[in-house]
Amino acid sequence: MFDVVVVGGGLAGLSAALRLAQQGRRVAVVAKGLGATQLTGGTIDVLGYAPERVDNPRRRIPELVREQPDHPYARLDLDLVERSLSWFRSAVEPLRYAGGLDENVLLPSAAGAVRPTALAPASMSDGNLRRVPRLLIVGFRALKDFYPAYVADNLRHAGIEARASVLEANPRSGEADVSGLVYAAALDADAAFRRVLADELAAVVEPGETVGLPAVLGVDEAPAVWRELQERLGAPVFEIPTLPPSVPGRRVHRLLAAALRDAGGRMVVGAVAVGAETGNGRADALVVQDAARRRPYRAHSFVLATGGVASGGLELELDGTVREPVLDLPVAGMPDGAPFSPRYLDPQALAPVGLAVDEELRPVDADGRVVYENVYAAGAMLAAAEPWREKSGDGISLASGIRVTEAIVERLS
Amino acid sequence: MKRVSTEVLVIGGGATGAGVLRDVAMRGFDAVLVDRADLGEGTTGRYHGLLHSGGRYVVKDPVSAKECIAENGVLRRIAGECIEDTGGMFVTTPLDDLEYAARFVAGCHATGVPVEEISVAEALRREPRLNPGLSRAFLVPDAAMDGWKTIWACVRSAQEHGARAFPYHPVDRILRDGDRVCGAVCRDEREGHDVTIEARFTINATGVWAGRLAELAGCPGVTVVPGKGIMIATNHRLVNTVVNRCELPGDGDIIVPIRTVSVIGTTDAEVDDPDELEITRDEVQEMLESGDRLVPGFSSSRQLRVWAGARPLFQDEKAAAGDTRDISRGLALVDHVQRDGVAGFITITGGKATTFRLMAEVAVDAMCEQLGEPRPCRTADEELPGDSPDGHYWLGSRLAGRERTMRDDQLICECELVPRRRLEEAIARQATDNLDDVRRVLRLGMGPCQGGFCIYRATGILHGERRLDGPGANASLLAFLQERWKGVQPILFGDQLRQARLDDWIFQGLLDVEHLPGDRPPEPRSREVSAILHASDQGAG
Repeated sequence: MFDVVVVGGGLAGLSAALRLAQQGRRVAVVAKGLGATQLTGGTIDVLGYAPERVDNPRRRIPELVREQPDHPYARLDLDLVERSLSWFRSAVEPLRYAGGLDENVLLPSAAGAVRPTALAPASMSDGNLRRVPRLLIVGFRALKDFYPAYVADNLRHAGIEARASVLEANPRSGEADVSGLVYAAALDADAAFRRVLADELAAVVEPGETVGLPAVLGVDEAPAVWRELQERLGAPVFEIPTLPPSVPGRRVHRLLAAALRDAGGRMVVGAVAVGAETGNGRADALVVQDAARRRPYRAHSFVLATGGVASGGLELELDGTVREPVLDLPVAGMPDGAPFSPRYLDPQALAPVGLAVDEELRPVDADGRVVYENVYAAGAMLAAAEPWREKSGDGISLASGIRVTEAIVERLS
Repeated sequence: MKRVSTEVLVIGGGATGAGVLRDVAMRGFDAVLVDRADLGEGTTGRYHGLLHSGGRYVVKDPVSAKECIAENGVLRRIAGECIEDTGGMFVTTPLDDLEYAARFVAGCHATGVPVEEISVAEALRREPRLNPGLSRAFLVPDAAMDGWKTIWACVRSAQEHGARAFPYHPVDRILRDGDRVCGAVCRDEREGHDVTIEARFTINATGVWAGRLAELAGCPGVTVVPGKGIMIATNHRLVNTVVNRCELPGDGDIIVPIRTVSVIGTTDAEVDDPDELEITRDEVQEMLESGDRLVPGFSSSRQLRVWAGARPLFQDEKAAAGDTRDISRGLALVDHVQRDGVAGFITITGGKATTFRLMAEVAVDAMCEQLGEPRPCRTADEELPGDSPDGHYWLGSRLAGRERTMRDDQLICECELVPRRRLEEAIARQATDNLDDVRRVLRLGMGPCQGGFCIYRATGILHGERRLDGPGANASLLAFLQERWKGVQPILFGDQLRQARLDDWIFQGLLDVEHLPGDRPPEPRSREVSAILHASDQGAG
């Protein structure tokens, strides 16, 4: 018997579980995979577009909530968001996340877009384009997931001084196709390779330039790798996140998962919640399928953080209905008309579909009645956001993850 | 204005036009081909990929069946690597008329389509996913043929014989000298100027658009009915043999394994405009349910994309209105001297991909006769140029090629195994900034992830190879994403929506492509641009 069983190992689920474990609760995380954090860029986006670029999330979020009263931020007030961000910064302290709600940092994307975000790890912060540095964008010949000339060209069109260079440094010399994870592992473990990289960089960087590299500067040793490279180079270095699997996302995931274990939480990966034992308006157990068997996980409370459509937390059937597959919870926001717009970059009618929740983030039905009094929802499955467009996904996941822990702790005590 | 002088102008860059270009070039004529868009962007690039044995037509259209089996033999001989010898099977499912099988066998014997009945157990051994309730099964020499590869091979062959091909050259007007057609004025869309092409003879191989082109030449009334067919590709091969229902041809009764996918087709609905091929979610659902009858569970497998093509069905007076399947599939040659008193101009339309070479032969024979210069056709004798001497394509071809270059080349598209060098070569050879043009040649971005990973890489490579500026590369990226969206949007549900959403997180969430510098992609091409219009690409496979 657990106090809380959390389903989902992404940012929302892990944050909720860790926060509860830190408060001495007996927690288990049941996760199908390794969590969507490892697909994201490692920045903490709170609100980047609405739909114009947002410079000050603290001012813009309340306006957004007035415009869209169903938006997840309507249930997640600014104080909570702020508390959640500062909790996150301490939870992943070695990565030294900086920023806040008063001014979005503007970081170059791997395509060279000027991308707003609220928090970035120290290893990315020197890329803040508000400071209009002179940039040298650097890629690796063997890394196919980063194109420095393309990035620099787009930045120049945004009025930023930038040039590009390609390095030969390769942890698997003789191989043409080397992934970002291989670069990261080599930089973690191989001092000689770190020197090779620094020497090659030193040969191309000019005084006054800030160096932008693909985000592959180590996983577990990332802070040390980044510091060492800057010291050897004598120039500021920052990382630009690129295609999944994401090295900076992996750092976050590994720190949160390790902290959860250290705090006594359990994490079961490769296990799928497939149903529940319910009665009297409560869930008594979740039925979990792992490799060998199906068994119930009993708890006082349950947190569903299985993600949106991308993670399988919601599914669109061929007949046009959207289902939540674990508890078959009611789904809100189904469009009357066509689910998709014919133009790719338009808002998509189906996108905001998700779970509607009460103040405590418990899923509610169409009449606003709580479905199960001890079941909570957090993260990308909440209705009424388009987080990939708004650049709001991390803020929603973190704040909702923390919010459910507060609601649960209040009820447990 | 730029002027080009040639003997024969071929209009239309589908299989027929490419076949005609090769044929005239091999007979020693100087020739130029123009297309309003890229080669294979029309009907040939949107068909299901079936090289017919003729089995489908043995009862209803024996003439077509005979043409098909003859050309099937020829193409197997000359177009080796465009073809995968999958074999074909006709099966009687519990929903099919049991009587039809006997008529089918008799029809095969009458038309010369080789047929061999196998036991139900053997059929299920070969294709374990087939409906276990089937009662009879027959083997025929169907195969899979890559339409784009076939076009490219024909054009390369023609180029080796001195011909030239100009994609993105829509015809603005046809030049007349009294009762003769003497060429055309085209718009070079890439360079932004007009080109006058003077020719002794002009062959209209514009397929479903042939009526409009004939009208430009002053020969109105040539009626080609567009028959819309939709096709759906699954994310892997559910069958390895072409599977047909042993019934009179209907909707959704063929599944073709081609390359890494299987394609189910098709429907047949008369439409007014071959450039407006709408696909509804209802049509998709019906097609998937048809798939369940051949392969139970088909509708719940992961579907990659859906597209529509328009068959050119030449109108003849015997056809019942409204059902284009009753119009002859046979090729149609229009001699405009006889019909309109206009010389130097013929139209070749109708037909099907399987008979493209025969259509070309018939058209060029007619041209030679009109010119009074009989020269024999050699297209059935000489093999098409190819990259490998290994005979037919097989499913492992790309992987085998990849294994040879594992260490010294990057894999840009993991789904379709496209290495960087081939991508760079294709960009250079086509001299294009359009990633969709590259897709048609390499299948880049056509696998399960639908470009989620490779299109960012391809954009970065295109930016370098073509020396584009940022906004230029962004336009290519966004145009590709928009084209892809058209093909996947009507079919998004289940796991494929999940994939699409991951792609949204990559392109919109991580890369923030929406806010890159430059213009947003233009609205789909204006239909007033030229007389020969190009179908909005549905993301054909």
